[in-house]
Amino acid sequence: MMGDLAVLQDVLVYWPEIARGLASTLMLSVIITLTGLIAGIAVFYLTLSSSDVCRRAVQGYISIFIGTPLIVFLFLLYYGLPQWGIKLTPLTVAVLGFTLNVAAYNARYMTTAYNGLDPSEIEAAKAQGFTSRQIFHLMTLPQVLRLSIPALTNQAIQNLKDTSLVFLIQYAEFFAQMQEVALRTFRFFDVYLLTGLVYFILVSVLTNLARRAEMFADLPPASRHNR
Amino acid sequence: MALLEVRHLKKTFGDRAVLDGISFDLEEGGIKAIMGPSGCGKSTLLRCINRLIEPTSGSILFRGQEVTGRDTDVRALRQMIGFVFQNYALYRHLCVLDNVTVGPRKLKRMSRREAEGKALHELQRLNVADLRHSFPSQLSGGQKQRVAIARALAMDPAVLFFDEPTSALDPVMAREVAAVINQLHSENVTVLCVTHDFELARSVADRIIFLRDGRIRAEDTADNLRNHYDDHEIRTFFGPGAAPV
Repeated sequence: MMGDLAVLQDVLVYWPEIARGLASTLMLSVIITLTGLIAGIAVFYLTLSSSDVCRRAVQGYISIFIGTPLIVFLFLLYYGLPQWGIKLTPLTVAVLGFTLNVAAYNARYMTTAYNGLDPSEIEAAKAQGFTSRQIFHLMTLPQVLRLSIPALTNQAIQNLKDTSLVFLIQYAEFFAQMQEVALRTFRFFDVYLLTGLVYFILVSVLTNLARRAEMFADLPPASRHNR
Repeated sequence: MALLEVRHLKKTFGDRAVLDGISFDLEEGGIKAIMGPSGCGKSTLLRCINRLIEPTSGSILFRGQEVTGRDTDVRALRQMIGFVFQNYALYRHLCVLDNVTVGPRKLKRMSRREAEGKALHELQRLNVADLRHSFPSQLSGGQKQRVAIARALAMDPAVLFFDEPTSALDPVMAREVAAVINQLHSENVTVLCVTHDFELARSVADRIIFLRDGRIRAEDTADNLRNHYDDHEIRTFFGPGAAPV
């Protein structure tokens, strides 16, 4: 526990920086959750391709990003690319690195959900005369997204927590600012405890929203006719 | 002119000929049932006609037009064939009304209002209009089958294909489906119905095609098939006291 309220006074001196850091964290979380979702849908779409080469390439991409720590990829982009004359800003690296990583996970969740769909619905849609693209956006995607909501919202929560990694590539997000405050006040324990508390509150709010989204998206249960 | 003319249709999977030279006609407004033991190629035949499965060889004329060629507009062909599946295959994420309107809206470019009007007409015709806001998970098997038929009819198809429409239903619901098919017959709807259910075939079909090992062994009325054939296979399948198949 914080020994006394003096820590809050010490920390509040730096509140403009902390607030900016918090805003950066939230902005980055929102961006990568959205770009990761959109890119994940695109990757998932490609996993259904009729081209064997395309499917293998996409599976390779997913395996590489799920099988590699995100920090390695962030360092490759931020510290490795300048060796080849390519210098990206910390925000660009963060968005690019996270998007590619999160998209791979999201695509995997969607594939799992897709495997649980009734294939006869797809056959019925083909028999009605729908194109593959129409079947994807009218039948497959809505059901896959609905079934993936728990996994996708857990990923969004994970994204929020993982953004703390980007302080290692000089991005001034919340954790980086709190690190700065700790260094200035020498109240390492108190400041990191406070940092954890803020993340916990943010994650709790997000978890609550996620559970509401799950309930909202839930289909009516089977009637007694089908039991 | 026949609505559908199937000539020498073959489908092989590897070395196995699932359909081996099938030929028959389906007249406009007529109802034919296709019967035969499990694995004889009945469902494959329906899927070959609407090109869900590509035939290996042979010819299919739909209103006189060859539809097995590479240049055939397969989607247009499928829109002319209403397909009612054994397990209904309703879109689980859509309510009954949306299940029926999605085809007319997205494929026939109807406005939402126009499509809903058409859907309600078909749902009323099948006595399930009051279920329009329900989801498939809330319906009984018979209700799902009716909605599946309404979904097919909403596309104004030239012919309705039924694939084992009663196999998942209890006898009461099976009789309801038979009544619906007879009602469609009286409204001059053309039907091709794959079934294991002789009572259904007898009560709805003008003629029954008996398929075995991918070949047509007989095509006749239900009563003739039951009473006037000496062929052992046909007597075993259709004869008095034949075991349910």
